[in-house]
Amino acid sequence: MQEDVHTTESTEAPEHKGGFPPFDLTTFPSQIFWLVITFAFLFVVLWRVAGPRINGVITARRGKIHGDIEEAQKARADAEAAGVAYQSALTAARARANGLAEENRQTLNAEIAKAKTSADAETAKVMDAAHARIAATQEQARGHVAKAAEEAAIAIVARLTGETVSPADAAKAVRES
Amino acid sequence: MELNPMEQFTVKPLVPLHLAGYDVSFTNQSLLMVTVVAAAAAFLTFAVKPGRLVPTRGQSMAEASYEFVANMIHSSTGEDGLKFFPFVFSLFMFVLLANFFGMVPWSFTITSQIAVTFALACLVVLTVIVVGFAKHGIGFLKLFVPHAPAPLLLLLVPIEVISFLTRPISLSVRLFANMLAGHTMLAVFGGFVVALGAAGGALSLLSIAPMLLIVAIMLLELLVAFLQAYVFAILTCIYLNEALHLHDAH
Repeated sequence: MQEDVHTTESTEAPEHKGGFPPFDLTTFPSQIFWLVITFAFLFVVLWRVAGPRINGVITARRGKIHGDIEEAQKARADAEAAGVAYQSALTAARARANGLAEENRQTLNAEIAKAKTSADAETAKVMDAAHARIAATQEQARGHVAKAAEEAAIAIVARLTGETVSPADAAKAVRES
Repeated sequence: MELNPMEQFTVKPLVPLHLAGYDVSFTNQSLLMVTVVAAAAAFLTFAVKPGRLVPTRGQSMAEASYEFVANMIHSSTGEDGLKFFPFVFSLFMFVLLANFFGMVPWSFTITSQIAVTFALACLVVLTVIVVGFAKHGIGFLKLFVPHAPAPLLLLLVPIEVISFLTRPISLSVRLFANMLAGHTMLAVFGGFVVALGAAGGALSLLSIAPMLLIVAIMLLELLVAFLQAYVFAILTCIYLNEALHLHDAH
């Protein structure tokens, strides 16, 4: 320590003895006095104003982040629920469509069967009528043939024998031939 | 030219003031104290805007210092230590900014005065004693009786008492000596720069060496400035933890 330099310098503080300023007791009251004032002021400001302000912001941010995460989770749950609802609606619609198609097919099948039955009946009726007509025509034709044969027989007999054969005899002969 | 490295620690009255027979003049140190406190209070109050959830740079710093101290208290004293947050926060910010403002050339280092650091240390220890007796009554004295066999206690109790009583000294001298030593060193090397520069010739060129050294020490001092504020605050927390929980693990 260059005490000599210091002592020649310090004209305003002649009480300095050792020349080591931090141990200069005469300055202590002033140091403590101003320390108490300034530190008390800082303490009160940080305690009452700055601390709550900073804490408020930090708490608000934490709350916001929490809220946002919760909201996002809720939105995701909603979306998942909507997906599930969509799937179940789709399945139900598909089942209903299958039911309707099945019902339609059965109705159609029944109608087809009914139509076929009625058509079959119609056909049978028409066929029976046709058979009857054919049989009648056959009978008629057979009648015509017999008559022609009688006439032919009468004519033949007349030509050969010159006898006249009664139509009844001719018919009897044709029938027996 | 002032070449005395101790001159920077002289408390010089700016406005003479007397109160009840004591010299309480407004000094260069008082000016720095007012500046430091005003800066700390203004910064921590106005850098933060309520409702501004996306912080600006300043608000980030204010919030970071808040959370730094809050975490420090929480980790060393637990949940119930947080009611001392304003006290520890004020101590930390005061010592930190006092140290940092002292780094500015031609300013004054408040914490290089043993009167200030000792007063702060006494405040801490008095708080610890008040809290301890308020919480545990006379049971607070168990702090001086560690868990040990009875014969050893004859030795350990005086040691505990002495270590408790020397706390204000160790706490204050640690901060005071660190600041004093760092700033003295800077002034000494500054003196070398001036002396070599004034010597002329080749010696003037050599003055760059202590100059570079000053830059390096300056960086180191910035670290010390923060570290000593941190140490002061964390020791306060540890002492408060003992007052709150005695020797139990928290």
